[in-house]
Amino acid sequence: MSTYQSLLLGIRSSGDYFISTFMFGVMFGIAASAAGLSQWQALLMSASSFTASGQFAALEFWQSPLPYGTIALSVALVSSRNILLGMAMTHRFDGHSLKRRIVWLFLLNDPGVVTSYRLEQNVDRLGYITGYGIAIMASWLSSTWLGLSVADIFTTLDLGAIDFAGPLVIATMMMLFIKGSKTQSTPWIVSSITALILFELETVNYLVLLLSVAAGITAAVIQERQLRG
Amino acid sequence: MVDQQSTLIAIALMASVVYLTRVGGYFIGLQLRHIAGIKPVLEALPGCAFMAILAPAIRQGSVSEILAMSCVVLIMWKSNNVVFATGTGMAVLLLAGPYLDGI
Repeated sequence: MSTYQSLLLGIRSSGDYFISTFMFGVMFGIAASAAGLSQWQALLMSASSFTASGQFAALEFWQSPLPYGTIALSVALVSSRNILLGMAMTHRFDGHSLKRRIVWLFLLNDPGVVTSYRLEQNVDRLGYITGYGIAIMASWLSSTWLGLSVADIFTTLDLGAIDFAGPLVIATMMMLFIKGSKTQSTPWIVSSITALILFELETVNYLVLLLSVAAGITAAVIQERQLRG
Repeated sequence: MVDQQSTLIAIALMASVVYLTRVGGYFIGLQLRHIAGIKPVLEALPGCAFMAILAPAIRQGSVSEILAMSCVVLIMWKSNNVVFATGTGMAVLLLAGPYLDGI
């Protein structure tokens, strides 16, 4: 399948997450308006950052004077799973020029990566994930705009009740990963047990993520060595 | 009120940080790809990352949040329908939350 056909497949396959992204985008638009961002500033943020969780994290600190370091750090921590998604795709983007990979990686997105696991071998992964990203970006921008436009109506809306929506969406991606990935389950089971232990020990959030992923990697390496004898 | 220049600097900073996480992981992977047997290790990473986020979220979740999560997992297991799963989970949070979490 050509890159173009794979890109179109990515766009066509994105329906489910197009809708859930839209829901988050509306909420982000409302939250951005409440934080004092103008319409074009919020849209610029959505277009250039393209990260729901990172943008929500940044809004927590949106007051004058802006704490640049804190914003950068919190966005980096929340977006750190992108590093793992990029690493997971290392063997999947071969056959493209370095320039194209560098540019198209801007649209790397969780659901695109997760759903790409169960695709036929002949689908171009970079094209598919980029197509998926184009559709999600369209959803993210249009919904941000809608949220900004209706923000005045929802000035008293308490978004606290839907704080848990992020984990729910991640759970849908985890289920797709479990069902679509051909990798063993041991690494992510080890990772989740480690995360729980660290959480009980009141470890700071970024260390929970870092150490539990490290534990998962260690388990994957040990398992791979055992399989190879 | 945040002035326009500060806002633009912050947005540029955020965009750079996020883009670096996207490109950085891929290029770290390129440096590791020559190691024998590394491919299945790298491909297991998204699952590890998702579980590292989910496990503590579930552990500290309220009754309605755990119920919502259970609905999402069950619906995804049976149907793979992301919209139905997310919609049901959200409905549980919004409708059942005030009753269940008051227990």
